[in-house]
Amino acid sequence: MIAFMLLGALALVGAIMTVTAKNAVHASLGLVGTLLCVAGLFASLSASFLAAIQVIVYAGAIMVLFLFVIMLLNANQPISGRDPVPFVRELAGIGGVVLAGALAVLAFTYRDPQPLAQGVAALRGTGTAAELAARTPGNAAAVGEVLLTRFLLPFEAVSILLLVAIVGAVALVQRPRPQPDGVPDTERVSLPAPGEPLIEARETVALSSERRRL
Amino acid sequence: MAPTGYYVALSGLLFAIGMIGVLTRRTAIMIFLSVELMLNAANLALVAFARSWGDLTGQTAVFIVMTLAAAEVAIGLAIIVAIFRKRETTNVDALATLKG
Repeated sequence: MIAFMLLGALALVGAIMTVTAKNAVHASLGLVGTLLCVAGLFASLSASFLAAIQVIVYAGAIMVLFLFVIMLLNANQPISGRDPVPFVRELAGIGGVVLAGALAVLAFTYRDPQPLAQGVAALRGTGTAAELAARTPGNAAAVGEVLLTRFLLPFEAVSILLLVAIVGAVALVQRPRPQPDGVPDTERVSLPAPGEPLIEARETVALSSERRRL
Repeated sequence: MAPTGYYVALSGLLFAIGMIGVLTRRTAIMIFLSVELMLNAANLALVAFARSWGDLTGQTAVFIVMTLAAAEVAIGLAIIVAIFRKRETTNVDALATLKG
């Protein structure tokens, strides 16, 4: 209980920092803190495998990718100026409070399925619900067995998805290949169709270069 | 051991904070970070329910959600980098047209 309170409070602090920090690097460090706290909460729920995966994959790999992109794009400056949507902060705050309230009501009216768990325990042998929970540990062996028997098809589908994601990411960040005449695709100016005045084409070029400067 | 309801309430709070972030932040990367926060909140609820029912299905779902999140981040950040190369910005207000 003490562990839950401590980790939960730290997770909330990290989450608020993620959402409010002006600097993108600070925000992602706040998210790393939240992810580590959630890993601790996983461990307190006897899901040790997921706690390890959370630290390695989420707090490690995914957040490194995020920081990498933030620094690559030099995107840690806040955006100045007004938001074009009026009252977006107020509306988002109201929506968030309503959502949190509704979920909290659901959470505190939730009752553990004790009778059912006890019935299952009685069918499987003797034991109470707590003993049943203790007999379903979240270590790698137990999760792996479920994953490779009951959830084999989703597991294989996910591996194909990862392959597609790798190919897609590589294809997306590829630089445009220069054309045979040596002019890269981005600097190619489309000539006006025959019969159209050339001056329009020049205006289009000026417009697009101005947009690039914006 | 804290009751399941406490974990679900914390998960709801984290989810709501993530939603506020998605609605108020204006750079694509920050919106992405908030979406990650929401995914984690959902994962926390799934693990809490898995313990409550004494069943490992919830933990398996969390494993698959984490894999999906990794794939989503790889593709999403690649899209953000591609957009930045073309438009020199990741401000979502400036990306209001579908035309490249």
